[in-house]
Amino acid sequence: MSGTKSIEVKGLSFTYKGEGAVRAVDSLDLDVERGEFIVIMGPSGAGKSTLANSLNGLIPGFIRGKYEGSVLVNGKEARSTPVNRMASEIGLVFQDFEAQLFSTNVNLEIAFGPENFAVDRAEIAARIEKILRTIKLEGFEGRQPATLSGGQKQRLAIGSVLATYPGIICMDEPTTDLDPVGKLGIFNIAKELHEDSEFTLIIIEHETEEALNADRLVIMKEGRIVAQGKPADVLRDVAFTDEVGIMSLQIPKLLSELGACGRDDLPMLPAEGAEFFARKGLFLDRERFREMLDRDEARERGYGDTIVAVDRLSHVYPNGNKAVDDISLVIREREFIAILGHNGSGKTTLVKHLNGLLSPSSGSVTICGKNTAEHSIFEIGKEIGYVFQNPDHQIFADTVFDEVAFSPKIRGCPAEEVSVRVQEALEAVDMAGYEEKDPFSLSKGERQRVAVASVLSARPRIIILDEPTTGLDYKEQKRMMELIKKLNDSGHTIIMITHTMWVVSEYAHRVAAIKDGKVMMDGRTRDVFAREKELYDSFLKTPHIVSLGNMLGGTVLSVEEMKYCTGGLE
Amino acid sequence: MDMFLYVDVESFVHRLDPRTKLLLMFLSFAVGVMFNNILILTAALALVVAYGALGRSLSNLKRIRVVLVMITLFSLVIWSIARPSGNRFLVFSVDGVLYGLMIAVKTNLMIVAGMIFLSTTKIEEIAQGLVKLKIPYRAAFAFSTAIRLVPMIVATSYTIIQAQKSRGLDLDSGNLIEKIRKYVPLMIPTLISVIRGTNIFSMALESKGFGYSDDRSNLLEIRMGGKDYAMMTAGLLILAAAVVLKVDHSIYDAWASIFPWGDFA
Repeated sequence: MSGTKSIEVKGLSFTYKGEGAVRAVDSLDLDVERGEFIVIMGPSGAGKSTLANSLNGLIPGFIRGKYEGSVLVNGKEARSTPVNRMASEIGLVFQDFEAQLFSTNVNLEIAFGPENFAVDRAEIAARIEKILRTIKLEGFEGRQPATLSGGQKQRLAIGSVLATYPGIICMDEPTTDLDPVGKLGIFNIAKELHEDSEFTLIIIEHETEEALNADRLVIMKEGRIVAQGKPADVLRDVAFTDEVGIMSLQIPKLLSELGACGRDDLPMLPAEGAEFFARKGLFLDRERFREMLDRDEARERGYGDTIVAVDRLSHVYPNGNKAVDDISLVIREREFIAILGHNGSGKTTLVKHLNGLLSPSSGSVTICGKNTAEHSIFEIGKEIGYVFQNPDHQIFADTVFDEVAFSPKIRGCPAEEVSVRVQEALEAVDMAGYEEKDPFSLSKGERQRVAVASVLSARPRIIILDEPTTGLDYKEQKRMMELIKKLNDSGHTIIMITHTMWVVSEYAHRVAAIKDGKVMMDGRTRDVFAREKELYDSFLKTPHIVSLGNMLGGTVLSVEEMKYCTGGLE
Repeated sequence: MDMFLYVDVESFVHRLDPRTKLLLMFLSFAVGVMFNNILILTAALALVVAYGALGRSLSNLKRIRVVLVMITLFSLVIWSIARPSGNRFLVFSVDGVLYGLMIAVKTNLMIVAGMIFLSTTKIEEIAQGLVKLKIPYRAAFAFSTAIRLVPMIVATSYTIIQAQKSRGLDLDSGNLIEKIRKYVPLMIPTLISVIRGTNIFSMALESKGFGYSDDRSNLLEIRMGGKDYAMMTAGLLILAAAVVLKVDHSIYDAWASIFPWGDFA
């Protein structure tokens, strides 16, 4: 580190136009040294994106509002410098990679920035070659961005920003929409960029486990910085991270809640945790572990009849791509199954067969005894509801009531029945009293819950959820999952697609991992998560607490379970 | 799903300068507008299709074949009923069928010419070509962006249709007014997604230095070469021939008399 400052934020406050007196960022001070790697975390609405957009002058140049204080980037005042001029100082990468890419091929995408700065052709070609190496897209030069995977797209977005050779890069939740492989690719690039001691890196992230690699972790809440320091130091304070609403690291959480260890000696990672267990004579209590296995079995005895039967299903898209290859799957009533797999593994194609959106190329799908090929989506839809990933792809009504009432109304329910169902659905998602609100004015987490309610109002027996926690912060994720658990407890069969491994381990009772259109693993969550190595080879990383359990000889699925099973405490 | 119109292959037409292709497209439009004669229009359409084959872009015509066929059918049905003159078979007039066919060929000629242009020219080349024609870069970029937005909107609306169908939206039933009302749950999320997308899009543009200076470099090199001048000359010659045909009645009549029923000059 050369010691000079890359970024100096002094007394920054910003209020979005039309949002009254709520300061998105409130008298914020932040200095970033040249070459530093900082990670910013915090719940939704903490002002993280506002801060990011202030760094290159999008705020206040592009997004209007009341601005106070100053932001200096490499000595340039961000407020008064045009955004396009700032592009040679700082690069900004957004979460939504689809909207950031617009060129015909990869080369042209990378060339766009330097072209704007009138860099000559030979130099652009040289930069493209260098950047393709950094973002690991060699050999993709002529590909259309639309044909790349999510992770490749986001890497390309990073590359297109790097091409103007900024000394600083700021990524605003770059991995939120990515699968585990895609995420890993981004973290690897970050690591590589950080090796250049002159390069400053700022990443806004939700994944606590990844923050450990940073030089400094900054925690924001309600427009202010509430803590910062070495990641391990900040994350050791489990009571604090719980209170702020970011996910606590599981090993320190376990040990501090057990009262087994003073704050300053808390181990952070599974291996350190196992070592601590050995040193202190702690162990996994076999008898209590056995009790949990018995509980698993008792739950399974409570399952009903077969409700979803997929028999030797294959699906070939018109372009010849075989997305689902001879899959058979039986789901019984009241099961809670998570479908894992990368983008392009075929998991979305598979579930789209369950409500008849797609028809089998061969094989059959039977829902509640009805063959989907012989019944319309409308009819299958009475039995099975499908919550799409992005609530904004379905919300259209002026009020929450109308939104939730859409499904029963279109199915010809009388008005009274409709209001009973809306009431019931809104209560199920904890949103009673929101009937007259405009859905577009709600937060992402609330919109997601409205989307669930609008599926519940059709009273389906089975509910499919496609990545229900994506884009939500930890508290909202937890709330969404508690809601789904409640639905499952009340008799709904749940089929959930997700990339978030802690969500799977804590909530799903069964896991099916899909790879290249085939079911690679299928079984009880506990049994599948015991095969840690196999999962890891498919880039599916088990949560820390599961890894600890595996090291101690029994697969536990949550901090609570581990707490219950820890023996040898004084 | 691949929604982009550009066909990424090497061909003679792909290597032409975008300005040449633009000129050839407008020449096809001109011929289409000038004549109301089935023979002449069909000949022009055949030329355009041959040009498309040279550009290895006919696969894209397959993708819009439904549109082309629908236009033809509509034109045939509507004109055969609406055309006042001539002998009638029930409500259909023979003259009207031919007129409808002529209009269909005319419309399809223009659509096919436009499609071949978009299939063989990268959007960056379109923008750059327009800049070389002295159109300001921002305007040229806006034009090429509009072309690019179409597939983005189609992809989004595809997802939205699936989401609403899953909730029970049934687009096939009901009368016309009910059907129109059923499109509200599709239109609103699509609009909002597009607005949100374009907002991020413009932020990303600015963040990459868009509009930093009027003097901009280009990775792609476009230059007029021998084949461009040859193609433009050929195109202009065909147009000149067309103008002669249009102006000189004796030649035109000689042509039209080959198939007098297909002429509506």
